[in-house]
Amino acid sequence: MPEYTITVNGQQRKVEAVPDMPLLWVLRDLLGLTGAKYGCGIGACGSCSVLFDGMELKSCQIPISEVGTAKVTTIEGLSPDGSHPLQKAWIEHDVPQCGYCQTGKIMAAAGLLADSPNPTDADIDAALGSHVCRCGTYTRMREAIKAPGRAK
Amino acid sequence: MSAAPQLSRRSFLAVIGVGGASFALGNFDGLAPEKKGASLEPNAFVRLDPDGTVTIWASKSEMGQGIKTGLAMILAEQMDCDWTKVVALQADGNGAKYGRQGTGGSGSTRSMMQQLSQMGASARSMLVEAAAAKWGVDKATCRTENGFVHHDATKKSISYGDLASAASELAVPAGNVPLKPRSEFRIVGKPTHRVDNLEVVTGKALFAQDVQVEGAAYGVISRRPAFGATFRSVDDTEARKVPGVIDVFRVSSGVAVIATNTWAALKGREALKVQWDIGPNANIDTAELRKRLSECLGEHPAAPSGSKVVEAVFDFPFLAHYTMEPMNAVADVKPDRCTVWAPSQSPDGVQTQVARMLGLDASVVTVHVPLLGGGFGRRGAGDFVADAVEASRQAKRPVKLLWTRDDDMRNDGYRPMSLHAMRGAVDSSGKPVMFNHQFIKAQGGSTRSAGNPAEARLLYQIPNATQMNGAAASPIPTGAWRSVDHSQVNVAIECFIDELAHAAGKDPLQFRRENTANPRMLRMLDLAEEKSGWKNPLPPDISRGVACFDGYGGRTVHVVELSTDGGVVKLHRIVCCLDPGYCINPKSVEAQMQGACVDGISTALYAEITIKGGAVMQSNPLDYGWARMHQAPKIEVHVVEGDPQPAGMGETGYPGVPAAIANAVFAATGKRVRKFPIRLAELE
Repeated sequence: MPEYTITVNGQQRKVEAVPDMPLLWVLRDLLGLTGAKYGCGIGACGSCSVLFDGMELKSCQIPISEVGTAKVTTIEGLSPDGSHPLQKAWIEHDVPQCGYCQTGKIMAAAGLLADSPNPTDADIDAALGSHVCRCGTYTRMREAIKAPGRAK
Repeated sequence: MSAAPQLSRRSFLAVIGVGGASFALGNFDGLAPEKKGASLEPNAFVRLDPDGTVTIWASKSEMGQGIKTGLAMILAEQMDCDWTKVVALQADGNGAKYGRQGTGGSGSTRSMMQQLSQMGASARSMLVEAAAAKWGVDKATCRTENGFVHHDATKKSISYGDLASAASELAVPAGNVPLKPRSEFRIVGKPTHRVDNLEVVTGKALFAQDVQVEGAAYGVISRRPAFGATFRSVDDTEARKVPGVIDVFRVSSGVAVIATNTWAALKGREALKVQWDIGPNANIDTAELRKRLSECLGEHPAAPSGSKVVEAVFDFPFLAHYTMEPMNAVADVKPDRCTVWAPSQSPDGVQTQVARMLGLDASVVTVHVPLLGGGFGRRGAGDFVADAVEASRQAKRPVKLLWTRDDDMRNDGYRPMSLHAMRGAVDSSGKPVMFNHQFIKAQGGSTRSAGNPAEARLLYQIPNATQMNGAAASPIPTGAWRSVDHSQVNVAIECFIDELAHAAGKDPLQFRRENTANPRMLRMLDLAEEKSGWKNPLPPDISRGVACFDGYGGRTVHVVELSTDGGVVKLHRIVCCLDPGYCINPKSVEAQMQGACVDGISTALYAEITIKGGAVMQSNPLDYGWARMHQAPKIEVHVVEGDPQPAGMGETGYPGVPAAIANAVFAATGKRVRKFPIRLAELE
């Protein structure tokens, strides 16, 4: 079984995995980082999103063999205690309902804000267009994404 | 939109405080804070520890509706405790301990309100009694506030925590204890953050597949290719060669592959060669089922002579529940006991089911209920739990059994496909004078039953109103989907009422007002007219539609604004006016209404399950479309309480929405919607 060393939340992590194992299952099953969720396996819902060198990536869509030296950030690495401005905004606006897909949405929003600290509605539509939230939390999600950007 | 205030340290700690103790401990029972000394435990739902922590167990499942927070608020209110010291936990599935735990039908708050209020009041009474005894004063001269008992005459105060031990020695009051009046409420009715927020946004909230169980393997199942197909044989040679695959065996629902990780299990499943007998439904498709439905339609009664007759047939598809978290469960079957982690809407039912499956007494079946990643009615069934239990029993180790999205979408209990044949009539003054509705659905496993008279439960006062319910024979499994039959019946009726209004030459909102005597609905219609600016002219490319719903104790009026430029229905605004009876947590109520609007958009415009060869053709969020961020407009929720009893909120927000959208599409195009989801190009 091939061995890979990947950078997750600032730490070097060694894993043994078949080359085509998606990063999602590496994170969840091999590293015990269960914040990223399985939703569809085809990159069409965003429940599994992480940051990949600062850009949002559906972790079900990249095999471990292609992770290389990229810096992977999961929800567990965004902040240890919920102190990231997006997490605070998410709580303040009570965005989550069932909560299942929310970590993926927060990571996508984090990727967006890194690029555009004051995103427009169109920016938010584009950044979240590949996501689904089955509870329909979009109204509050939009408010929460705008909040930390504007507070800067 | 104004910028949200930065959270001060104090307010952020308060937020943490709500879920504080549970933050490090997880969100369900089995992870409850340890007792620290003699605790007050007057019943199964609440425990007060000497350090002041109040743990409240929610017996109904949290699936996004906010019930864990809401139920805790009710008990905490009557106990008069300090909300920041409350830890709300999901109770295990245990009917003997908690009674009925089925979570559905918008019934959780309504069914638990009285009981939880009494339990809270009872605990408060014991604390007052303990304080009075300690001080040697009359119980009646003591009062409680925010986790303290006070005796004002002697200026004495003591915290609940300091009374826990003494109160635990007292008898639990027999019979009902007087309740705190609503005018004194400090928790119930106040916008309150959800107790799981912090865990959710940090990724620490536990869903079933997130639970770490010593020695657990991962399992998936290769399932039948069509409803009614039966297993013939399997060649697992290649599957067993996949690195990480531990075992392959038959289970009731197919062939299970057990592996050291999910990916290996999925690759093993791919390598299986399973032979199935396709069974009796190979020729079943959507067109055949629609034909069977239409064959059950009968004659409408005659309309009064001289009236203007309107007829329409509405066509609704099957819908999948499409919970964000696909079906799954974790089971650890031992020879003499079993533990399951089941994201179930029927936790006590799971305990009974598993006990029966394994021939065990229910007392040795532990059912933990992690967060449910959405429910919408799907998780009332026990099929996914049975898979995990069977797999663990045969694998002789704990198994985390996962349904893939494809498994989930193709093996649901669907909202039934249905036809609704309507005839109505208005007289020369524009008054409706008759109404007949024939409602035929493809109920799973049903045999043909046309034309059973049913009550026409109309919001409107229409003479000669009748309804006939029927079912066509169908092999496609069906189940309860958000708002159940109202999801079609109310939508069809509210579309048809719009057609009657048009025939009467009346404004659709005014026509509804003129024909209902329901005071709470009249108030909502007034509110909707005001908040939506119904009488104000719209820009030329925007059109409006309205629809009502009366059910689960609540009333809604939705007004939508949309455009149809370029052949695409685009929602611009939804105004949701709600009479929730009485609000427990306004934040949850608002969230439920917004979510129901997104469901309404999704099912009005995108989602549909179709059948071919006896199987479901959709398998993922691309071919089963659900509204995304850019398809969800601004949703305004306006709440006016109209009853002392709380209404159900899970289902109530949905049934008006698709109808309001369809009615706005008519306003935009002059063409009536008769089939869902709406395809503009197909409108006639």
